[in-house]
Order: sequence, then structure tokens, then C-alpha cells
Amino acid sequence: MNAMRRTAFALLAVLYVAVPAALGSNNYLMGLVVSSLIVAGVAVAWALLGNLGGMVSFGHAAFFGVGGYASALLTMKLGIPVLLAIPLAGLVAVLFSVAMLPALRLSGPYFALAILAYAQIFRILATEMEFLTHGSGGISQIPVLPTIAGFDLSSRTGQFLLLLTLLAAFLAAYDAIRRSHYGIALRAMHDSEDATRVVGVNSVLLKSWMLFVSAFMTGVIGAVNAHVINFLEPDYAFSGIWSVLPIVAAIFGGYRTVTGPAIGAVVIYLVDQLVFKALVSTGHQIILGSVLALMILFAPDGLLPLLRNALRRMRGASHA
Amino acid sequence: MSELVLQALYSGLLVGGVYALIALGLALTFGTMRVINLAHGELVLLAAYMAYMVESRLQLNPVFAVPLAVLVACTCSALVYLLVDRIRKNRELNSLMLTFAIGIVITNAVLLIFSGDVRSTGSPFMQDAVQLGPLFSMKSELGAFIISLVLVFALWQWLSRSWYGRAVRAVSSNRDAAKLMGINPARTELISFIVAGALAACAGVALYSSSVVHPALGHALTVKAFIITVLAGVGSVPGVLAAALLLGVTEAMTVTLWSSALQELVGMTLFLVVLLVLPNGLFGTARRRG
Amino acid sequence: MLELANVTVRFGGLTAVQDISFRMGGDQVVGLVGPNGAGKTTLFNVISGLVRPASGSRVLFAGGDITRLPLHQRARLGLGRSFQIPQPMHELTVRENLIVAQRFGAGRVDPRKIDRILELMDLTDQAERDAANGLALQELKRLEVAKALATEPKLLLLDEVLAGLETVAKRAFMAKLRELHETLGLGILIIEHDIETISSLCHRVAVLDFGQLIADGTPGEVFSNPDVIRSYTGAEPVVENAGVGHA
Repeated sequence: MNAMRRTAFALLAVLYVAVPAALGSNNYLMGLVVSSLIVAGVAVAWALLGNLGGMVSFGHAAFFGVGGYASALLTMKLGIPVLLAIPLAGLVAVLFSVAMLPALRLSGPYFALAILAYAQIFRILATEMEFLTHGSGGISQIPVLPTIAGFDLSSRTGQFLLLLTLLAAFLAAYDAIRRSHYGIALRAMHDSEDATRVVGVNSVLLKSWMLFVSAFMTGVIGAVNAHVINFLEPDYAFSGIWSVLPIVAAIFGGYRTVTGPAIGAVVIYLVDQLVFKALVSTGHQIILGSVLALMILFAPDGLLPLLRNALRRMRGASHA
Repeated sequence: MSELVLQALYSGLLVGGVYALIALGLALTFGTMRVINLAHGELVLLAAYMAYMVESRLQLNPVFAVPLAVLVACTCSALVYLLVDRIRKNRELNSLMLTFAIGIVITNAVLLIFSGDVRSTGSPFMQDAVQLGPLFSMKSELGAFIISLVLVFALWQWLSRSWYGRAVRAVSSNRDAAKLMGINPARTELISFIVAGALAACAGVALYSSSVVHPALGHALTVKAFIITVLAGVGSVPGVLAAALLLGVTEAMTVTLWSSALQELVGMTLFLVVLLVLPNGLFGTARRRG
Repeated sequence: MLELANVTVRFGGLTAVQDISFRMGGDQVVGLVGPNGAGKTTLFNVISGLVRPASGSRVLFAGGDITRLPLHQRARLGLGRSFQIPQPMHELTVRENLIVAQRFGAGRVDPRKIDRILELMDLTDQAERDAANGLALQELKRLEVAKALATEPKLLLLDEVLAGLETVAKRAFMAKLRELHETLGLGILIIEHDIETISSLCHRVAVLDFGQLIADGTPGEVFSNPDVIRSYTGAEPVVENAGVGHA
């Protein structure tokens, strides 16, 4: 395991240096990479709830939108510094997720669709509360990310480094939770909830925590996105795409793994933007839909575990 | 004011009839297979665009699109079933994601083929006004409502009287016991999906004839159908009809008395309240979702 | 330690447990017997919190009313139970099963104690196996008890842990239960069919039939009670006894 962690750190260090060095001069590509990391952040948060909490959500756009709006309003109306507003926005998303706690009692499909309903309700509220959100006209000129110690976080490279750091922190937190006693109990709850509760595990509390952690991560990413894009409108901030892309990405990468969803997100997003979009400009989501359908049908555990197994088999063959 | 309210009530009822038709298909497949077909609204959408195609290419009244729409929607519905049936692991959730994905594919296929423009019938015959006392509607709206009611009633009778109806109930309450009774569950499920496809086809043509359609509508219809299914509770055709009419009227009233932007909010809120507070829906027999 | 007062359970129109009042001390080993469907497991489910009894029923444990207490809090109060059909926590190893039970049921982590429980229940060699897929039925039954022990209970509810064991293994298991009772001062309420086993293990026997408590006393008293013999052997037509005639 230690070897794996060392590899992860090494890989991270390489990414920190190599990506800006290779793509830094290409604003367009760097922008795509930044967007892919945003999707990756939501995908990790989605997979954490799905894998540890055992709850599939169809409405992570709810947290993404709330996070974005919260951070925009905190910085613009209250003058709170951007880097402080971002974690606060994560907490606001947690606050909104409290409204979803009753849904935790619902079984799988009902929970998934209840969260979808919440996302729609939040979007409509954002449209209707014009005094706060400027309604469907949206909020423009959201402050950019600041310059810290002479380093401009609002540059594409700065955005990339901030998001990569956040993503690494999310993954580390996810992994730590998964290995903790809470993680073990959560794992046990998937198929044997009664047996787990009867030895003293408060399953509702544990699931609530996973919902909060997932909402926080998604809210933070939504906030960063608001300061990267500098513009928000309800139909964009709460767009179904923020619910769909993470699902496709996480299923593609393997939602029962820690790194799978993040890698899946980067791959899916970049391929979608660079290849699919070039092939079919409107309606390129048809390919995302097809990928999701094919994954569920043929490799529901994701490509990453599939590749790992194939690799193991090849190694086994070469040893023989 | 009261006239406005009365008119809203009337329009809401008319729309509610079509909602019932859409929701029944979803409720039927959900009842037999315990699978929520998140592509169901997209089947309706597909049928609506078949009507558009027949009208715009062949200059025919959209009603003549029914056979084509039935063919397309039933085929797609059967395909959905065959794909869902392949899922072995964690069927409840994986089928949800699979049908969700199929919905995305259909919506974007429609977008690719027919563009994102809003479409509605150009037939003057369909758009003629009909007056019922102080109440107005288009001929097509009233027609769609009546046809919907007839189909809902027919389905209800079929489900409660025919051998197939009994098979559906047997399969949905206990699959293994149904097998022992000589019922082939797979066939029963397939028939449910095909019938759901036919209902979706009629609903789609009715929708195109009486309203406007665009690619994003499919997802919204799925959500509405699911809201109605949850409101109705599982296992009651009259319940679905009542819930659909209730949703239609509530939406129309919200638009008239409040604002059109809040139309969706009311449906969603109703949905959550029922989901979280009434585990058996408004009209359903006992069955918990917890 | 444990007290049931007028406990009734209805499933739809069916009354599974009817007006049972019962108390036992933490220093007792009590057998719960009765024919299949008599309501024994339902009663366990009421005590451990899986089934809610009808209104008017009261369950008291360790001096407090736990009738409405959630499942997990009862475990923390010191109620440990095993399931008749073993329910290992899936996706976990045997050791992880015990870790979860100890961490959440007893509120602390003590690896040495887990080793001791594994040893006591003869599961040391199976510790790292997948609990749901890697164990034989008898091992699963021992894991049931081990999980309950890991929560550091004051009272153990054991649902047919001895059933299906051959004589030697059964004796050994019984010796273990006795040891637990004596060394840890653990109260045990055990569901068991075999009269001989009950007689040698328990100080006291309670008999359920058609959801009612028809006898309660020392094994000697209970097993010579004509009502019990009738319900057990079915020597006389059981139908006429249905729900009535025992009062």
C-alpha cells in the first residue's frame, strides 16, 4: 500500500509540473483540462456517496449550483475574500443537503430521483429569487481567483494547480474515510444493513455524514467553477450536465475505486470535447449516453478495474 | 377571476388526461418488473416527432402517424426491456442508470435529426377552437383528452379482466410463484413494455397535436410520469388517472394564479412531500419504499 | 436486567406475539423454547429493535425503557444478539466484522480483545477470510456469537446457535457459553429446540406457543407441565389449542 501511495505522490508531482509545462502556452487546451478537473471533483464526490454511502444520486447539480451561487454572493454582496468564500460555499451546500436528510430513508431508486427533484427545486428557486440571484439573467463579473504571493491563481495554470490540489485533497480524504472504521462499517451496510445496525452502527448518521462530505466537495468545486467562469445563471449552474457527467465519468472509471472516477472524468471530458464534439457538434451527448449504457451493460465495475484485471492476467501469463 | 380559474381547471384536466396516458406506461412496467424506465418520456418524445415527420413530410394530419409511432415506440420499448433484462448485478440501480442513458441517447438523436427547434402542429383542423359553455380549448386538446380517457379505461379493463392482467399482477407480487402457476415472467414483462410503448406512442401523437414539443421535453415527461406514479402509489389504474388529473390541474392553477415559472416547482414539491411523508402514495395499496 | 411488559406484535391481521410479560436477571441463563412459528424469533426482534411491538407493549433493559430506542443504541446499552440465519456483514473479513462490532457496539478499539474472541470462538484461522463467502455454516454461527461478544454485551440473545451441531461440537459450544456466563457475568437468553440441551444449560425455561407464554420455570418444572408436553409433542390435536385454552 505504501508503494502505491508513493506512486500516487510521484504521479501528482509529475502532473503539477508536466501539464503546465506541456500545455501552459495553449490557453484552449489548458482551459479544457481545468474543466475536466472540475468534472473530476464532482465525480469523486458523487462516487464517495455512491460507494461509501451506497446512494446513487441523480442530482449532484444541486450542490454544484448552490456552491457556485453561494461563493458568488459571499464575495460580491459581503466582500468576503474568494479563497475564504470557496470553503464557506462548501458549507452552504452542506446546509442545503440537510434538507435532503429525510430522503436517506428512501431505498435506492427513490433516493436517486428525490435528489433529482431537489436539484430542480433549487434551480427554480435560484431563478425566482431575483433579489438575490438576478433570476434567469444571471450574475456576471464574479471575482476571479486571487493572486497569492505573486502567483496568479486566475491564470489557466493557476486554476489548474488549485483544482489539482483540491482533487488530491478530496482523494486523500476519500481514501482516509474508506480505510477508517467508519468506512468499514459503511462498506458492511451495503448488503447487510440490519446486521450492521444490530452491532451498534448508526447507519442513518453515517450515511448523513457521507451526504455532507459529498455535498461539501461538490459545493467547493461549484464555487471554484464560478470564479473560473465568472458568470452564473440558474440553467447553467444547476444544469443536468453536472449530474450526468460525473455519473458517466465515475461509472466509466469504476465507481467502487477511489481514483477511477477522477481519471474517468478527465478522460471522458477531454475525449468528449476534443473528439466527439468535433464529430457531432450538437447532440454530442448522444455519445456520453451510449458510453454510460455500454458500461452498465458490459462493464458495470468500470474500465479501470477491467484494465487492472487484464494487466494481472497478462503478468500471470508472462510468469507462467 | 372565477372564469379564469374555471378555464385553468378545464385546461388542467385536459392536459392531465394525456399525463395519465404517459404515466400509465411507466407505472405498468414499474409494476411488473420493479424497474423505473427513465427513458419512458423519451419514447413519448420519439412518437411526437414521428407525428411531426408525418405532418411535415407527407402533409398528413398527425393522427395518421399513430401506426408509425406505435411501431417505433413499441420497438424501442421492447429494446429497452431486452437491454434491462441483461443486467444481472444490482438491477434496481443499474437499470435506472441504463434507462437514464438510453433517454439521453434518444433525446440527442432527436436533437441531431430534427434540431432543437420547438415544433407544433400546423393543422388548422386540430387548432380549431371548441367551446363548452364558457370554456375554451383547441379541438385537438379535447380530442386528446377523450382518447386518453378511452385508452386508460380500456387498459384498466384489460388489466383487471384478462388473463394477461392476472399474469401481470402475479408476476409483480411474486415472480417465482407466478412461474409455478405456468406464467412466463419474461414474456409478461416484455408484453408490459410493448403495451407501455403503445401508450407512449398515442400520448406522443396527442401531445404533438395539442401542444408544443422540443427535444428536452422527454426528460421532463419522464419526471412528470414518475411524479404521477409516486402520487398514485403502485397498483391502481384509477389512482394513476386521478394523480395525473391532479398534477395537470395543479400545474394549470399555478400558472394562472401565480406564475408559469413555478409550474414545475409545484409538481416537484408535491412529489417530495408524497415521497417523504406518504409511503404508499395518495391512492396506493400498502408497499413501502423505505 | 431485561423486562418485557405486555408485549404484543401484529403483522397485518396476524398476531405473532400476544401480551407477553417476562423478566430475567443478568445472572441467568434462560432457554426460550416452543414449536416453529411460536413467536420466539419475533420476540428477539422486538428486544433487539428490528420489530416494533404494538402500542401498550414495553421493553425495559438495564433500568431504562428501550421500547422506542433505535437498533444501534440498544447494542450500545449492552444487548448483543445472534441471528438464526447467520448475517455476517458482507464485503468484510471475519476480523473486520468484529472490529466494526467492537468499535460501534462497545465504543472502543482493542485488537487484543478481538484476538481473544477469535480464539474463544475458534475463528483465529478464519480471521482474514471474507465473512460472507468464505465460511462454513458452523463457522458463521460462531461468528454470530463472536460479533455479539465484540459489542461487550451484558445480555446475549442467541437464536438457535446450537442447532445442527453434532454432539461433541455442541457440548464444546455449550461449555463455552457456560464459561462466558461465569467469567463475564453475562446473561444469556437462548432459543433452542433440544430439550436435553436446554435442561443442561439453562437455569430457567420459558415456553412460547402460538405467540403466548405458556410456561416459565426450572427445566424440571416446565418439561413436566402437561400444556408444554402437549404443545411440544403434538400428542393431542394442536388446532384446538390455537391461541386459547392456555390461560
